[in-house]
Amino acid sequence: MNSSQAERLAARDHLRRQGWIARRSEAFHHLPPPDLAHWLGGPADDAGCDAPPLAGAGWTLHPLGDGGAHGVDARWLDALEPAQRAELLAGLPPPGDGEAAPFAWAHRALCRQGLRLRIAATPGRAAAPVVLELRHQPRQRAEAPLLVIDVDAGVHCVLLETHERSASDCAHPVTQNLHSHIQLGAGARLQHLRVVAPEAQDQIAHHLHATLAPDAHYAQALVATDSAYHLQRGTLQLRGRGARAQHAALLLLQGQQIDHQVHSDLQAPHSASAVESLVLAQGSARAVSNAYTRIAAGADEADVRQRLSGVPLSGQPRLTLRPHLEILHDNVQAAHGATWGALPADALFYARQRGLDEASARALITEGMARAVLERGLEDSELLAQWLASGWLGRRMARQLQGPTGLTS
Amino acid sequence: MTPPDPLLQVRDLRVNVGERTVLRSVSLDVNAGSLVVLMGANGSGKSTLGLALAGHPAYHVLGGQALLAGQDLLAMPAHERARAGLFLSFQSPPDVPGVKNNLFIRTALNAQRESRGQEPLDAFDFLTSAKQAAKGLGLPEAMLGRPVNAGFSGGERKRNELLQLSLLQPRLALLDEIDSGMDVDGVRAVVEQVARLRAQGTAFIVVSHYLQMIEQLQPDAVLRLDQGCIAESGDVGLARHIAETGFASRTAPVEPLT
Repeated sequence: MNSSQAERLAARDHLRRQGWIARRSEAFHHLPPPDLAHWLGGPADDAGCDAPPLAGAGWTLHPLGDGGAHGVDARWLDALEPAQRAELLAGLPPPGDGEAAPFAWAHRALCRQGLRLRIAATPGRAAAPVVLELRHQPRQRAEAPLLVIDVDAGVHCVLLETHERSASDCAHPVTQNLHSHIQLGAGARLQHLRVVAPEAQDQIAHHLHATLAPDAHYAQALVATDSAYHLQRGTLQLRGRGARAQHAALLLLQGQQIDHQVHSDLQAPHSASAVESLVLAQGSARAVSNAYTRIAAGADEADVRQRLSGVPLSGQPRLTLRPHLEILHDNVQAAHGATWGALPADALFYARQRGLDEASARALITEGMARAVLERGLEDSELLAQWLASGWLGRRMARQLQGPTGLTS
Repeated sequence: MTPPDPLLQVRDLRVNVGERTVLRSVSLDVNAGSLVVLMGANGSGKSTLGLALAGHPAYHVLGGQALLAGQDLLAMPAHERARAGLFLSFQSPPDVPGVKNNLFIRTALNAQRESRGQEPLDAFDFLTSAKQAAKGLGLPEAMLGRPVNAGFSGGERKRNELLQLSLLQPRLALLDEIDSGMDVDGVRAVVEQVARLRAQGTAFIVVSHYLQMIEQLQPDAVLRLDQGCIAESGDVGLARHIAETGFASRTAPVEPLT
């Protein structure tokens, strides 16, 4: 037995002793995840999908724009091979014992491959952002991919990360426990557009951990669609003075579920975080959007915003919006709110008065609200503008407004 | 020779907002290419008339009739009233977050064109004419690419209403306090725009308290609305008189003027 196998067995043993996510868990009790066995896979899951072979460990990297891949060091690593596993996991926090720790232990037990990206400054190209696209395709029926991104001090990176597949890629439902670790050096900046659109029967849990050094800026716009189980959990640690994090999520549900959780931890003075979500749901969909922000003692002049909103488009979806603040310092600004309601009636009538029928007016305004959330998350982003212009969102919204599909598991 | 029927014919229109009767009985005619100024104290029902004619769901028509070019407006849903040629310039135009102005107007214009059996305008042709219209109204071209009314000043919102009026070219436009929030250049743009469209046959109902603009608009008639009824009708002299004496001196109980 090598050290990689030993670690995997140790993780399984830990899970056997400590158990899976508790039913009473504060973070997960609204939408409990499937049992542990789903996340560990079995012999049949090692057979893989019917998808054609792809380069890399489920991840493919595509430089975009003029910036190209200058300064990008990408390493696809085999987590079953001890030396590569050590390199893949180097510097990452241990799974720990938090509410979501069982997912992290299950990840350690199953992880077979990962991608480690380092984005460094390139002499003479300091001003130009590095623009990348990362696509992930599932490779096994049960898998635990890993992504680690280190952005060096002062570097500006723009990243489009997509998780989409069609029936031709993989015909089987997938259970995917993805962990991403993003580490931003001092003054580094990452604009991150994530599109996660699983198939109806997929079980998805994505855990993103970001740590921000002084004056680093992390902005994420997330577009997620529902499936049999879909968890999007982000943990943002603002460790350095002046660090800023923005997170905007657009959650589109047609009858299944999404559990969206963002934990922000402001540990330094003059740090700022803004979390916004918009849930557009229909049918019997179930959505949770949970923003928890902690302002640590000593985080002087920290600035926190949380805005969670939901619109039931049709049917009787269940939406749970949970803004939380924990403030351990006096001199801070914090605001939070949650609203659940219909489309804005004044805008709807305005559009109808200009000649749009009811359905067209609703579609235009609903898509507009969706775009506005993403644009607030990634301000002045050319990448986002290009993605919006691709028509993906419009097509998805058109499907959404046609009516609910799928069943809540 | 028989004169043509008025473009808009309103008869004994009665409207409730919630439990309150705001329009008790309004009757008026507006001919194609003509301009009627509607004046009245706050709460007299001026905005209610526009919103009721436009089909706002919160404005419940109790009775009466409104014909636009012979079509029964009150029987139509709001979008069909717009497609029939009714344009309402809102007193407080709302934001439409995330929807770019040029997309909003082009979608509306093409919906109207489609209802008339016309080919839709493509994005390039539309943008060319929209830029030209915006320039004529003193509206920065960049505002075409911004979300509708989001972050616009009061005057910019009103100029944006004028831009839509210019591109949609309705048969009848009801301008509800279009001058409020406008600077002098904006008011001049209103006057020029209205004159240009009147020459093409568009009829106007203009709600305003601003005498200088009313005089420049050269109205065919001035109506005073009071307690939900047309209380007085006259020419621009009535507007001058109201500007001098105000509405307070005219608060006697009102019977509908037919």
